[in-house]
Amino acid sequence: MNETSIHSTRSSTSSETIFEVEDITVEFGMDRGTSRVVDNVSMEIERNEIIGIVGESGSGKSMFASTLLDAVEEPGQVTGTVTYYPEDGEPVDVLDLDEKALRTFRWEEVAMVDQGAMDSFNPTMDIETHFKETLIAHGSDVDGGMEHARELLTELYLDPDRVLGAYPHELSGGMQQRTLIALSLVLKPDVIVMDEPTGALDLLMQRSITGLIAQLHERYGITILFITHDLPLIADLADRIAVMYAFEFVELGPAYDVLKHAAHPYTRALLKAVPNTMTPLEEMAPIEGDSPDPVSVPQGCSYHPRCPLATSKCRETDPGFHDVDTARTAACFHWERSAAAVSYTLSGPNEH
Amino acid sequence: MNRYARRLFQSVFTLFVVITITFVLYRMMPNGPIEAMQQQLVSEALAKGENPDMSYINHMVAIRTGIDPNTPMHVAYYEYMRDIILYQDFGQSIAFNAPVFEVLFYAMPWTVLVSVYGILIGFTTNIILGAVMAYYEGSIFDTGSTIVAIVLNSIPYYVGAIVFLAFLAFQWGLFPTGGRMYPDSTAGFNWYYIQGVIHHAALPILSSVLIGFGGTALSMRGNCIRVMGSNYLRVARLRGLSDGRIAVRYVGRNAILPLYTQFMIGLAGIFSGSIIMEQIFTYPGVGWYTYDALVNRDYPLLMGILIFFSVITVVGVLIADLTYGLIDPRANTGEKEGY
Repeated sequence: MNETSIHSTRSSTSSETIFEVEDITVEFGMDRGTSRVVDNVSMEIERNEIIGIVGESGSGKSMFASTLLDAVEEPGQVTGTVTYYPEDGEPVDVLDLDEKALRTFRWEEVAMVDQGAMDSFNPTMDIETHFKETLIAHGSDVDGGMEHARELLTELYLDPDRVLGAYPHELSGGMQQRTLIALSLVLKPDVIVMDEPTGALDLLMQRSITGLIAQLHERYGITILFITHDLPLIADLADRIAVMYAFEFVELGPAYDVLKHAAHPYTRALLKAVPNTMTPLEEMAPIEGDSPDPVSVPQGCSYHPRCPLATSKCRETDPGFHDVDTARTAACFHWERSAAAVSYTLSGPNEH
Repeated sequence: MNRYARRLFQSVFTLFVVITITFVLYRMMPNGPIEAMQQQLVSEALAKGENPDMSYINHMVAIRTGIDPNTPMHVAYYEYMRDIILYQDFGQSIAFNAPVFEVLFYAMPWTVLVSVYGILIGFTTNIILGAVMAYYEGSIFDTGSTIVAIVLNSIPYYVGAIVFLAFLAFQWGLFPTGGRMYPDSTAGFNWYYIQGVIHHAALPILSSVLIGFGGTALSMRGNCIRVMGSNYLRVARLRGLSDGRIAVRYVGRNAILPLYTQFMIGLAGIFSGSIIMEQIFTYPGVGWYTYDALVNRDYPLLMGILIFFSVITVVGVLIADLTYGLIDPRANTGEKEGY
């Protein structure tokens, strides 16, 4: 277990909390009932870490990320507390900020790179104006800010002159994505929330973007929350991984441990379902059944209808978190038996 | 070839084709201007018991219609085009006994006044109304305005015009029932004259505003809602931009884009609408003369008016086409043709 020790030194250079999320619930009122898309979730994000949030589509990942910026769209209702701890200064209750304070908080402290980079720029405005208006809106020094923007673009292997003078439609998907990352960093935020930043890109571009993100992380010491449905993509990037299922977290721990010895049956099933070149085809299997409806989540453990380990206990009581080891928890009564019940093989850099 | 030059050439070519087709259609029309007049003169002569003298009749026809029946069509066509291109001579109006160009030139400013103000006021109120409706999407105001817009859009403008005339002019006497200015005013830069012009133009403009009222508002509302749901607007809000900048530079700009071409083409529609409108309001503009020319079988004038309308339409589309790249950078990529 040599890798683990190397890994843990990288993950916790300083284990200081930057975000504390407590009992967050996001609800949407719908005709057929209340749709609860984030269900009573708590989590701590540490300064300077890269944390990966993994889960299938519609598991509540994006909604969870939006709460960090209090950016859940109407008519969504958010309850709970999100506390942000700035480098120096008083803790900030994010959900309690007034409009003006929120406007400053967003992008200066926490920026967001959204799912659709291809649709993140105003089609009738050139890229330079996007940077400038952001600097102006936050009362920053425009000349100095543009200087920084050029540096960022260069670091992301873009030609600043060409990109700044271009209109969004003149850039390729990968270029727009990298430009958006530069735009998110222009005000030097401490945290970046990246919501499927590579979703619309091809495999090669995905790899190169995650590589660039790692570089920026090293250089600027930013805390990164990386949301994806693609577990292997963040295997090398993330320090910690949180797996989300049915609007709540089911497993949280150091990336290596979660991937190598996944404790929750869902995480194991997810890893088994992800294609990779080393896995024999007959060992790959989709997860049976459907992901739950946010209006009526199953009672007890939300995964029990699809879980091979489910017992009557799982059907009746919510398991809550069980410590797997000091750094890792899994929301499962039977995590000790999961390895035997669901097996998978890994390939790539994590395979030794 | 340069895109602008090519586009300009296309427009000139379109105009040329329109004039040619119009010319040929007039001459080939069964019972067209020449035949009609010949028959009329023949029957008049027969009624008087005289033997119709064809050379005298053809001479009369040539004077009355400006078309010499003895000249072959292609020669007449050549002469007509030559006069237009070289001398800007559109022929002589029969009814007014004056050059067609002069009649049109005299009437045009009045039509332009009514039409341009009509479309500007109509477009502006529609855009604002549409934007406000989108902002309060789903509210009672939005639903109410949608119903009003659909109802107004379904009422033909001439019905509206007659209703306005009946109540505002005849019943309550708030506006004059016809004409372009106070009869006792002297043309020039004096307030009484200007007041008269505004007073007389008010009802025609109001009716022009009604043309397509609501339709544009509904399009604008839809466009705004589409833009407001777009990802770039969400990102703009997250970036902390002010509401004013988002409303104007993000929502406004992107929502108006598709309406721009519609606006330029709509100009031509307003001019053709003026034919009936000016008749209702007895407002002697180009539309009024068009109707007059039709009734009087004043073919040279009618030809001139048709060319006039075609020019306005083609120029409107041309301007929309050439300037679209300025307001939408996506339409302006290099030498590609932007339609």
